[in-house]
Amino acid sequence: MSARKKTWVRCAFSEMNLTTSPAPSESTPEKRTRSASNVSSSRVPRSRTPSINTKPVQIPDVESVDLTAMDDDQDADITGPPPEVKENWMESFEPATSDDLAVHPKKVGELRDWLRHCEAVRKKFPAQMCLLTGPTGAGKTATLRVLAKEFGYQLQEWINPIDCEVVNALGDQTTGASYVGSHLEAFKSFLLRASRYKSLLDSQNKRLLLVEDFPNVLLSDKEVNFEELLEEYTAYGKSPLVFIVADAKSRGLNISYRLFPDQLKAKHRIEHISFNAIASTIMQKSMKTFCSVMQQNKATYKVPSTAVVDSIVVGAQGDIRNALINLHLSSLKGVSSMPTKQLNVSVSAKGRKKKMQSTLKSIGRDESITLMHALGRVLNPKFNEDKTMLHSPEEITEAFNTEPRNFVNFVYANYLPHFKEIDDVVTAIDDLGLSDCMLNEYRDDNLSVMGLNVAIRGVMMANTCPVSGWMPVRGPKRINIQPQATLAEQRLVGVAYAGIARTLYATEYSSLVKLIAGKLGDTTSSQSTDSKQVF
Amino acid sequence: MALWVDKYRPRELSKLDFHKDQAANLRNLCKQSDFPHLMFYGPSGAGKKTRIMCLLREMYGSGVERLRSETMTFTTPSNRKVEVMTVSSNYHLEVNPSDAGMYDRTVVIDLIKQVAQTHQIEISGQREFKVIVISEGDELTKDAQHALRRTMEKYVATCRIIISVNSTSRIIPAIRSRCLGIRVAAPNETEIVSILQNTCKREGLALPVELAKRVVDKSERNLRRALLMLEAAKVAKAPFTANQEIPDLDWQVFLRETASQIISEQTPAKLEKIRERLYELLTQGVPPNLIFRGLVEQLVNNCDMSIKAKTLEFATEYEHRMQSGAKHIFHLEAFVAQFMNIYKSSFLSWS
Repeated sequence: MSARKKTWVRCAFSEMNLTTSPAPSESTPEKRTRSASNVSSSRVPRSRTPSINTKPVQIPDVESVDLTAMDDDQDADITGPPPEVKENWMESFEPATSDDLAVHPKKVGELRDWLRHCEAVRKKFPAQMCLLTGPTGAGKTATLRVLAKEFGYQLQEWINPIDCEVVNALGDQTTGASYVGSHLEAFKSFLLRASRYKSLLDSQNKRLLLVEDFPNVLLSDKEVNFEELLEEYTAYGKSPLVFIVADAKSRGLNISYRLFPDQLKAKHRIEHISFNAIASTIMQKSMKTFCSVMQQNKATYKVPSTAVVDSIVVGAQGDIRNALINLHLSSLKGVSSMPTKQLNVSVSAKGRKKKMQSTLKSIGRDESITLMHALGRVLNPKFNEDKTMLHSPEEITEAFNTEPRNFVNFVYANYLPHFKEIDDVVTAIDDLGLSDCMLNEYRDDNLSVMGLNVAIRGVMMANTCPVSGWMPVRGPKRINIQPQATLAEQRLVGVAYAGIARTLYATEYSSLVKLIAGKLGDTTSSQSTDSKQVF
Repeated sequence: MALWVDKYRPRELSKLDFHKDQAANLRNLCKQSDFPHLMFYGPSGAGKKTRIMCLLREMYGSGVERLRSETMTFTTPSNRKVEVMTVSSNYHLEVNPSDAGMYDRTVVIDLIKQVAQTHQIEISGQREFKVIVISEGDELTKDAQHALRRTMEKYVATCRIIISVNSTSRIIPAIRSRCLGIRVAAPNETEIVSILQNTCKREGLALPVELAKRVVDKSERNLRRALLMLEAAKVAKAPFTANQEIPDLDWQVFLRETASQIISEQTPAKLEKIRERLYELLTQGVPPNLIFRGLVEQLVNNCDMSIKAKTLEFATEYEHRMQSGAKHIFHLEAFVAQFMNIYKSSFLSWS
C-alpha cells in the first residue's frame, strides 16, 4: 500500500514539474504521455523505492487525458505570436456540450442512459462496462468525452506504452538490468488501480476508464486472457469502463468481433452501442460551426467557400474527423510566418477546389463502394451515349483487388439471371473460368488483379441484352463436404471401414450400401429420407 | 454386418486372385530387411488397397490388422484447426490428407514428423521403420506434394511411405522418382467373373454367368463396385436369375437425368437449374472429374454427329482449366453453357 501511495505522489510531482516548465506543446495527450514516461522511467531507478513494478511508467499514461486544459490553450495560441500552427489545432473545434455533437441525438441519448444507469447502481455495482463501435470518425470518443464531462467523470485512458522498462527485484543497485514488462500485466494493473485510486491533482471524484488502444497481446493471443480480465474487473473494479472500437472491414481485424463475442457481452452485461457514420445534413451543420470558429481565428484561416465545404462533406463519407482535416487544409491562410510546407499546401488547395467538387480524389477519403453496389454496376452495366462504359471495370477492380476471389464468387453466384441469351452466357462464364484459373496462380500477385479484371470486364461486356427487373442478390455457395462418412453411414458399412474417404464413399458405396442395408432390416429410415431429398 | 467386399478381401499376398506374378514380386520385396517408398497406381477398384494391406501383413505379421481409428487435429499456420481421421495399427498409419482440403500440406508435414520422430521401442524381429499409407495421393495439392518430398528424404530412416494413387499424372516428378511404382491394373472380365462366382459359392448362392457378365459391364471393371452391385442385387432378389435387374449408382442416374435436361432446353434459366444439380452432386462428395466425365459421355451419346467433335473439343479445354482452377463449378458450368450454345445453334440451322 505504501509503495503504491508513493508512486502516486511521485507521479503527481513529475506531472507538476512538467506543467510548471514552460512547454506549450502539452496540449496533445500523446505527446505529454511520452515525455512524462521518459522522465519517470529515467528517474525511477535512481531515486525511488525498489520493488515497484510496472506502476511508475503506467501511471503517467493514465493521467494524460485532461479535457479541461484545452480551452486555456486556445486563448494563448490565438493571441500569442507562435509562427507555427499550434500542435493540436483540432482541439479548438472540439464540441463542448452535447448539443455541439454531430452525432445523432438518439445515440447520444443511449450513451447518456448508460451513464445514468452507472450512476444509479454506483454503490452496488460500480464496474459497469460499455462497448462503443462504429466507423472511424463517427464521433465515438468525442461523445464519450463530452458526456463524461457532463456527468463529472474524470476520464482516464489507457495508452499502450511504447516501452515498459521496469526495475528488477534488486532495484536499488542500478545494474542496468531492466527488462520489458508484460503489457498485459501493465494493462491489468491499470484497470484495477486506475479505477480505484484517484490522482491527487484531480478535483473530480468519479473516474471513467477508457480503453481505445487495445494491448496487442489481447489480439494476438486467445481471448481467454481477456475474459479473465473482464471477470476480474467486474469483481474488483470501482469505476465504469468504456471500450471504443472502430469498425474494420475484415473480420480478422475486427476487434469488436474477436474480443467481444455475444456470450461475453451477455455474461458481463456489456452495453453495446454502435454508432453510425455521420449523416451529411448533420455534418453540414457542424461544418458551419467549424467555419464560425475559424472566423474567430482570422490570423490562420480564411473563410472557405460554400462549394468547398459541400464537396468536403461529400468526400468525407460520414467521417467528421476527416472532414475537419480537409476543412482545415483548404482554409489555411498563407501567412508569411508560416513554414513553407504549410504555405505550399494552402496554395495548392486553391487549385484543388475544382477537382474536389468533381472527383474528390486528391483530398478526402477514397471513394469506397460496397460490395452490393459494385455488383450492381457489374451486372447491370450502364453506358454513356458514346457507348463507353459509365463505370469502368478498372475502377471496380481497383476497389476490390484486396479480395478478388470473394468478388468473383459473388459475380458468379448472381450473373445468370441477368442474361437472356445463352451465347452471351458462354462468353461470360468463359471469362469467369479464365479468371478462376488466374486467381489460382499464386506465384504472381499481379495476376490476381488481372483475373478480377477479366471476370468483371467479361461479365460487363458479354451481356448484350440484359434482363431488367428486381433480382435478389445471392451469396456464393460453399461446398462443405464432410470429410468422413457420418456415424450412421459408418454403422451401415461396419466399423472396419472408418478409413474410407468421403469421395470414395459417395461414388462407390453410398447408394449400394443403402440398398443392401435397407433390405436387411436395419433401421435406416433417416438415411433413406436423406437420399430422397437429394436425389 | 460385413459387406462382401470386406468379408472376402484377401488378407495375404499368396491368396490374391489376380496379378499373381506381381504378388510374388512383392513377397520377394518383403524378404529383404528394407524396402523403398512405394507408389501403387491403377484405377479405382483394382485392388491397390488390398495389396498394400497384404504387403504390410507380410512384413509385420497379423499385428497390422488390429486397427484403431482416431481423429487427429492439426493446426495450420493460420491457426485453423483441421481434423483428419486416421486408421492405424502399431506398425502403420493410414491417412487421407485430401480430407483436409487446402490444408493438406500441414497434415502431411505434421503427421510424418509425428510418426517419424517416434522410434519403435521393440525392434526384435520387427522392422525399424513405420509405414505411412497415404490414400488418394493424387488429390494432394502441389504444395503438399513438395512438402512431402522433403519430409520423405529427411525421415527415410524411420518411416516409409506408401502412396496409393489413381493416376501418376498428377504426382510431381520429384515424388514419382522417389517411389517404386507398382501398377495395379484393373482385373479383366474373366478374372472378375471368376471372383464373383467364387464369392457366391462361399455364400452358398448360384450365379448365372450371364448375370456375372452384366455386372462386370455395369461396374466398368471396378471390382469393388461389382461386388457391391452383386450384393445389392442379391438383396433385391435372392436366388439370382440371368436377366434380373442390377441396381445403378444413384449419382450416375442423377447425372443421366441432368444430361437429358440439358438437351431438352437451352436457356440461361435452365442453366441455373443445372447449376443447382451440379452443386448437389458436389456437396454429396462426388469428385468433379467424375462428374465431368459422366456428363460428357452422356451428352456425346445423345447428340448429333456433327457437334460431337466440337463438344469434345470444349470438354478437353474446360477439363484442363478445371484442373488448374479452384472453383470446379465454374468450369462445369462453362462446359454446359458451351454445349447448350452449340446444340442450340446446330438445332436452329437444321430447321
